[in-house]
Amino acid sequence: MDKTIALMLVLTILVVLPTVQLVFAAGTDAHEYVNRKIEIWNLFFKMMTIAFTVGAVVSGTLIWLVWRFRESNPNAKPTKYEGTDW
Amino acid sequence: MSGHSNWPEWIYVGVIIVLLAYVGAEAWNVERLVEHVPAEAEVIKVIGQQWFWTFEHADGTKEVGELHVKKGHAYKFEITTKDVNHAFNIHDYVVLQDAVAGRVNEVWFAPDKAGEFPIQCREYCGLLHYNMRGTLIVEE
Amino acid sequence: MVLELQKPRPIWQIMFSTHHTDVGLLYTITSIAFFFMGGALALGIRAELFLPGTQIISDSMTFNRMFTVHGTAMIFLFLLPFASGVGNYFVPIMVRYKDMAYPKLNAVAFWMIPPAGALIWLGFADFTWYATPPYSAIRAPGPAADMWIFAQKILGVSSVLGAINFIVTILKCKHPDLPLSKVPLLAWSFLSASLIIIVAVPTFAAALVMLLTDRLGVSGFFDPAKGGDPIAYQHLFWFTFHPEVYVLVIPAIGMMYEIIPRFSRKPIFSQSSGIFAFVMLSIVSFSSWAHHMYATGMSFTEKTVFMIGTLAAVPASGMHVFNFIATMWGGRIKFATPMMWAVGGIALFFSAGAGGVANAAMPFDFITHDSYWVVGHFHLFVMGTIAFGSIGFLYYMFPYITGRMYNETWGKIHFIMSFAGTVMVFFTQHVLGLYGMPRRVYDYQPYPEYIVMNQIASVGAMIIGVSMVIWLINMIYSAGKGKEANMDDPWGLGGKYYFPYQAKNPHH
Repeated sequence: MDKTIALMLVLTILVVLPTVQLVFAAGTDAHEYVNRKIEIWNLFFKMMTIAFTVGAVVSGTLIWLVWRFRESNPNAKPTKYEGTDW
Repeated sequence: MSGHSNWPEWIYVGVIIVLLAYVGAEAWNVERLVEHVPAEAEVIKVIGQQWFWTFEHADGTKEVGELHVKKGHAYKFEITTKDVNHAFNIHDYVVLQDAVAGRVNEVWFAPDKAGEFPIQCREYCGLLHYNMRGTLIVEE
Repeated sequence: MVLELQKPRPIWQIMFSTHHTDVGLLYTITSIAFFFMGGALALGIRAELFLPGTQIISDSMTFNRMFTVHGTAMIFLFLLPFASGVGNYFVPIMVRYKDMAYPKLNAVAFWMIPPAGALIWLGFADFTWYATPPYSAIRAPGPAADMWIFAQKILGVSSVLGAINFIVTILKCKHPDLPLSKVPLLAWSFLSASLIIIVAVPTFAAALVMLLTDRLGVSGFFDPAKGGDPIAYQHLFWFTFHPEVYVLVIPAIGMMYEIIPRFSRKPIFSQSSGIFAFVMLSIVSFSSWAHHMYATGMSFTEKTVFMIGTLAAVPASGMHVFNFIATMWGGRIKFATPMMWAVGGIALFFSAGAGGVANAAMPFDFITHDSYWVVGHFHLFVMGTIAFGSIGFLYYMFPYITGRMYNETWGKIHFIMSFAGTVMVFFTQHVLGLYGMPRRVYDYQPYPEYIVMNQIASVGAMIIGVSMVIWLINMIYSAGKGKEANMDDPWGLGGKYYFPYQAKNPHH
């Protein structure tokens, strides 16, 4: 349980607080117009960084799984359910 | 169910939720920034109809198919339609808003580069939808 | 499991039967027929967009009609009936009942589909598959538009009848020894999807009547000049059809839940998390409909609410992916054709979901709304996930239906070509969208980026087209002349299946 709390604390500090700060520290200076093109495309590139990172993990896992647990892999072992009535 | 540990799954779900929270917060913040229309923005009325755009400047001048604006000024588009729904889009400036019958929708931008940029319709509006184009001309 | 058809019977005996496997067969064959018809339209669309200017389609109206009927046919005449076909075959067997709860109603629900299909195809409407007013109310040419409206009405009734049947079969007719928590996940997926249908479809049914009376000029529900509001239609429409996305995707995931453990030679990692995720998805499917309407002038608050509602669907979808990966982990996986389709489907499901998260972020809508990004995104779902799961499952059912094996080599070639084609078409379309190409266009400006990417997409589409022809030949040839399948274990996986597939019906 302590570990959970510690984990949550770390996540809070790393993710939530900077975001909150970012939101409230954002400038409301009237003379410099917000450049919507830059803001929106930046958001897009941030999201794609996340998406491609997660995608690399997920598809990497999937490719490894397919390679490692195919039945023709020399290390393939019968599962304990084979031949039973599950 | 079968008595094995579900810890990895809960951590995985937790990570997903944290990532989603981050994406949501970022998106919320950017939306808040780009939706805030500067007070001095000049109003341009945009009227869509099958299959061309009409623009009416604040001083009453009208343009069809072409829109002249000045670099470094803020403009607020008030978008409406005479017939069916359209969507007003200047992709190079990430300006997009539907023209909906019976409504006036708003979107604003401040061009930072001079030149010619295509204007197009993004919402299906019938026969010549694909050709409902215009030109944005940003002057120095 | 005996899914009939192994004994040759006269065709009218199958057509006028109310037995669940016969109705299932009718559903399956009809849906595949419409799949090929809709696919032919898609190839026409891609051929036209291979280059700017006019290629093979002489006018934009024909083009507009083609993509409208392509969309309508693929969703309502292929994906939904195909899922119903699978449900008809498997749900009664999985809950150990002799048939569907209401066999006649079942046959009635099926027989509403051919006339509706005929109305859609003979009318050939042009107002896109979501028929937004005012265009659909004041400009869309009749009688095509009216025929489309009546067809949708019929299809709506058909899916509600089918949904009632599945719900009653699962909840009321399951064997008393079988607790609901032990009902296989494929049947659970039909329970979830059917519950969504019951709640969601009536809204669109109402919108259709309003649209029809608007077209007749006797009302003005969606006409601002008469005090109506076109946005009201969009709310009614998406309240039905965002959940409908889950009606399509949940059975496809259920099919993967059937294939993946079987070919991994392991039980599902966690039945309970699968059930939980299905129930979660059916609930949150109703929290996100207006994310289709960010550009219609919604307020910041509305957008925020629907962004959160959209993101809420992600953890449950992620749980399914986790479940699939954890099931395969430590297995001994046989990559027969159905398994390849299922695993390919999972990979594309993730890509589609990641694109969905990006779409949910509201400022991003200014870039992607009604652009080719959207086309690429939802096709990764409907083609990459749902059609992949469905095609894989048809390979899986094939020996049980026909008593014969399909050709494994050609099945694998079919998968590899389709997977490569799908990646080529729909990933490229995402990029096209980022370049700002609007969707539903007959012609595009001759920018070099547009041309190159449209050509990649068109080539990919042709690869898919060829692979589907291979599939059709494989299915037809193998059904008559394929090797006899070993009905106890067609793929040589060893072990027994966990549901009583031997249960024969006294009817046959």
